[in-house]
Amino acid sequence: MTISVRGIGWLTKTGYGSIRTGAQHQFAEGEGVHSMAKLGTFSQPFKNFGRLDRMSRMTVSAVALALQDAGMEYSSANKQDMGIIGTSRAGSLTSDIDYFKDFWENGRTLSRANLFIYTLPSSAMGEAAIHFGLTGPLFYGTSADGSLAGFMDMAVDMVVTRETGGMLVGKIEEEEALYFLVDDTEEDNVLCSLVEARTIVASTQDISDILRQLSILKVKKGIV
Amino acid sequence: MSAMKAVVVESDILSPFGLGVDACWAGLLAGQTSITGMSRFSTKAFFSDYGATIPGLKYHEGASLVTQMLTTLFDRTAAKIPPDAKLMLASTKGEIDLLERFIITGTGAADESTLNNLLCKVIDLTGTTGGGMVVSAACTSSSAAAGRAAAMIRNGHADCILVVACDSVTEFVFSGFSSLMALDKVPARPFDKNRAGLSVGEAAAYMLIMSEERAEREERTVLGTIAGWGMSDDANHMTGPSRESEGLVRAIKAALDSAGIAAGQVSFISAHGTGTPYNDAMEMRAFRSVFKDRKVPVYSVKGAIGHTMGAAGLVEMAIAQRAQQESIVPPTVNLIEADEDAAGWVSGQSRNIGTNSMALVTNAGFSGVNTALVLA
Repeated sequence: MTISVRGIGWLTKTGYGSIRTGAQHQFAEGEGVHSMAKLGTFSQPFKNFGRLDRMSRMTVSAVALALQDAGMEYSSANKQDMGIIGTSRAGSLTSDIDYFKDFWENGRTLSRANLFIYTLPSSAMGEAAIHFGLTGPLFYGTSADGSLAGFMDMAVDMVVTRETGGMLVGKIEEEEALYFLVDDTEEDNVLCSLVEARTIVASTQDISDILRQLSILKVKKGIV
Repeated sequence: MSAMKAVVVESDILSPFGLGVDACWAGLLAGQTSITGMSRFSTKAFFSDYGATIPGLKYHEGASLVTQMLTTLFDRTAAKIPPDAKLMLASTKGEIDLLERFIITGTGAADESTLNNLLCKVIDLTGTTGGGMVVSAACTSSSAAAGRAAAMIRNGHADCILVVACDSVTEFVFSGFSSLMALDKVPARPFDKNRAGLSVGEAAAYMLIMSEERAEREERTVLGTIAGWGMSDDANHMTGPSRESEGLVRAIKAALDSAGIAAGQVSFISAHGTGTPYNDAMEMRAFRSVFKDRKVPVYSVKGAIGHTMGAAGLVEMAIAQRAQQESIVPPTVNLIEADEDAAGWVSGQSRNIGTNSMALVTNAGFSGVNTALVLA
């Protein structure tokens, strides 16, 4: 069994792309994560993308880009044995504030279910599971130092022990999102080894810095 | 290297029945419920007036509810926690009452309520130095954390992990469940034919999980073994379970495979059993799918202590281990007449089981998450 990183998708305030394909797009004026459903990011229509909270929009967009990067097709109708772990320091804080402020400003009488459902930090991964048909393990995590490395180890373990066929593991901080697709794959279909990816994510908590190091690694490996 | 067994060497809970597994176990066996009319905040705008809270906690005064709970819990157990233990914290909303207070009174800061912030507090509270992480997966949070902890031990990545779980009853979560029309107007009645929803509850719990080798070396008393685990997602709906139950079936089968046992070896089931019509029907469909015509004793503790959200899994594991030790399956409190599909599986009375039993603990939650754990 060779567990490797097969695809990486990313999203920042100014643009989005993927590592292996080298695809890189800048947002035009007025565009942003809210525009992702209109920019050809998803290979099937994303019903109700507009009602998702920001964390969910960033998560599903980065996951779509990681799957594209790996050349994997998906469909919510054809579910696949793949799980997802999402990390961030703030979790659902923004949605928590939105929900409770709304409740408070409505005189503590009206609470909105459509805001409440995003107050779980795992909800963003839940939206991804529904859209991409992911039936494997799903949870939100955060570590004291904000590192993704421990969760990447967990994801790899799940694949190695065949708890699931593949894992998406990613990180969202502020306006930036990054997702890795990790699975057991053919050697010639590999973006980088796990050791390489883990060394990078363990070296820095900054998503831009991780992206920069991954791009350098790709050039060094001669992947075009 | 051969796979290492993950054994539980310490566990404790703080539930609405009070401090300790003994208090909760006694309440369950007596068929009592701790679900009462809420006094912590006004419920007049909500779908229900009922919840299960821990007496004596101060709301919006000083420390958060879960910090008060965890301080009480660890006051008597801190000495039993090895400093090198890795910490795995499971919760859905952690210190969300701090955010409520910030929005209502302007006291404090919004980001004090994050799970990452709570993790740092729990590291301090428990004195652990082995590194810490949060695992949050809706109402499967602590069973997922326990499963991951057991996996890390089996796979040789750790030999001592402290899993801590907590969630509290706040206006935030109560109003949210009310908006989803998930609350029963009366105390929750899991698996009853007239069940109409859940009752929100609160709890804190911990389990110290070690490799069998380390437990032997430290001459620890082994309370039980986490023999197998399975996690899955329905990939179907954000707030409702799949009516076909295929996600939970997959998690149960994975847990049985992981434990290396057949379905016929399961002695009893601690079900998620929230009391909502959809959850309980989904679980029974899953149990019938896996266990066929063999009516394995099933119970839910949520009629007694409410739905303790992210803490539910760990509390239910501790109760299931007590059931194994006592060879008694507790009653499903508030069950009057079992739903047709649960008849013969659930009971309002306690039941005797054999020794050396195998327990299956199931949980499910928003986003379609499912967990199943096999306890030996």
